[in-house]
Amino acid sequence: MSYDFAIAAVVTLAGALLAISQANILHAVFGLAISLVGVAGIFFTLNSPFVAIMEVLIYVGGIAVTMIFAVMLSSVTNPQEKENVGRRLMAAVAAGTFFVGGALVLHHAEFADGKELLNSEHSLQAVGVNLLNRYNLAFETLSVVLLLAIVGAIVIVRKEPAMPADAEEEAA
Amino acid sequence: MPETLSQLLDDSVLAMPIAAGLIMGALTINVLMLVWAERKVSAWIQRRMGPTEVGPFGLLQTLADMLKLISKQLITPSNVDKPLFHLAPLLAFAPVIAAVALMPFSKSLILVQNDFGLLFVFAFGGIAVIAIFMAGWGSNNKYALLGAIRSVAQSISYEIPLILSALSVVLVVNAMGFTLASGGSIVVANGLDLSHIVMAQDQHGLWFVLVQPIAAIIYFISALAETNRAPFDIPEAESELVAGFHTEYSGMRFSMFFFAEYTNMLIVSMLAVVLFFGGWDGPVLPGPLWFFLKSYMVIFVMMWVRWTFPRLRFDQLMTFCWKVMIPLSILNLLATAFVVAVL
Repeated sequence: MSYDFAIAAVVTLAGALLAISQANILHAVFGLAISLVGVAGIFFTLNSPFVAIMEVLIYVGGIAVTMIFAVMLSSVTNPQEKENVGRRLMAAVAAGTFFVGGALVLHHAEFADGKELLNSEHSLQAVGVNLLNRYNLAFETLSVVLLLAIVGAIVIVRKEPAMPADAEEEAA
Repeated sequence: MPETLSQLLDDSVLAMPIAAGLIMGALTINVLMLVWAERKVSAWIQRRMGPTEVGPFGLLQTLADMLKLISKQLITPSNVDKPLFHLAPLLAFAPVIAAVALMPFSKSLILVQNDFGLLFVFAFGGIAVIAIFMAGWGSNNKYALLGAIRSVAQSISYEIPLILSALSVVLVVNAMGFTLASGGSIVVANGLDLSHIVMAQDQHGLWFVLVQPIAAIIYFISALAETNRAPFDIPEAESELVAGFHTEYSGMRFSMFFFAEYTNMLIVSMLAVVLFFGGWDGPVLPGPLWFFLKSYMVIFVMMWVRWTFPRLRFDQLMTFCWKVMIPLSILNLLATAFVVAVL
């Protein structure tokens, strides 16, 4: 195992630990961003620079930033909500099941030989062509899901309790 | 294949420190000169003298300013979010240096050769956005927070037309292809590789500003907004927000933001030269010299714009991006794709 992989793995784990241990939500989001940069590093050491860049461009530059935006504009960085043991237990069970299931699938999956894949030229082009031909339906469905998310966000924002008159005027 | 500098240095343990030191030194000189140039250009446009006292033509003025900033006390206000406050200047500073390393200064002078150089530059820009957030939030100051929110909203909006305009160039490069001088064989051009973009222009003797004029204009306007420069300098509009996200920073930490800002100017200009103005391509003079000449020409235009146009209002800025720039860049991309597919 090369030591650059080790560095990337440590960054990923450290970021993930930060993300789940911080009480301050904003710190947790920054931890998540660090973790995602680490994941990009892992992809990079695995000779997939394109996936690595996309990880940074979309997850760090897009999703993490959007999350920070949401946290900032909703001003609940230190939630005062009471600890709910039942909820926590449910979350733990759900996360544990997902982890075990994922690990089992990975364990039983058969992977193509890495070296063979590395040598195939224009793998990126192949991804693009496959995405728009063979998997076109899944691709388009995903974009519909994203559209739904946007529309849903607007609906949720619109349903907030009535704003004071002057604020409403400003919003209009 | 041309031997890149990174290949030359690859054998040595010292490769990383040497390369990093070279980039840092060059960038520091660049920032010093750019600040001086900005003051001189603004003075010239406003019929003033600009700095004249320190050194010939006031050339050493920024050096003196920098020494002052280094020797100043680092003030940490008492109620700041300490980890974020301390981390932000570093995080603003690091990705900028990394992006410069990817630029093809000439056919052989490329510090880091990468197949996806173009995307890398944009990805590093994304990390800088998080640094601005950290600074704005960590400062525990309403001006800083407002500045950060504006800055990030602006950056992520203008990133879309910026990338879309670059993408139409990528399409053109992929369609044109070029031959490498050594083998004479036609290489499948990879439009995401910065040096391939330049080579395609070099070989066809055609700068892409002529092929993609709309993309070039969109790119330039978005680049102004990405670097938070006038007329889009709303995040640090001094008349309303003091200094935006870096209000609470002083001394060396402030100068790191400053450094990042001016280096960002250089990066978007270099990228503009690579995408639209033929990179190192030019007669007589050596390639890297042309590359820098063109880059500084673009920077001069950016300064010229700053001292010519008044600042936009924030809603005007966002409306302009979402209702003009993005539809226009999507149309341009579609038109380019159509032409490429048909021809």
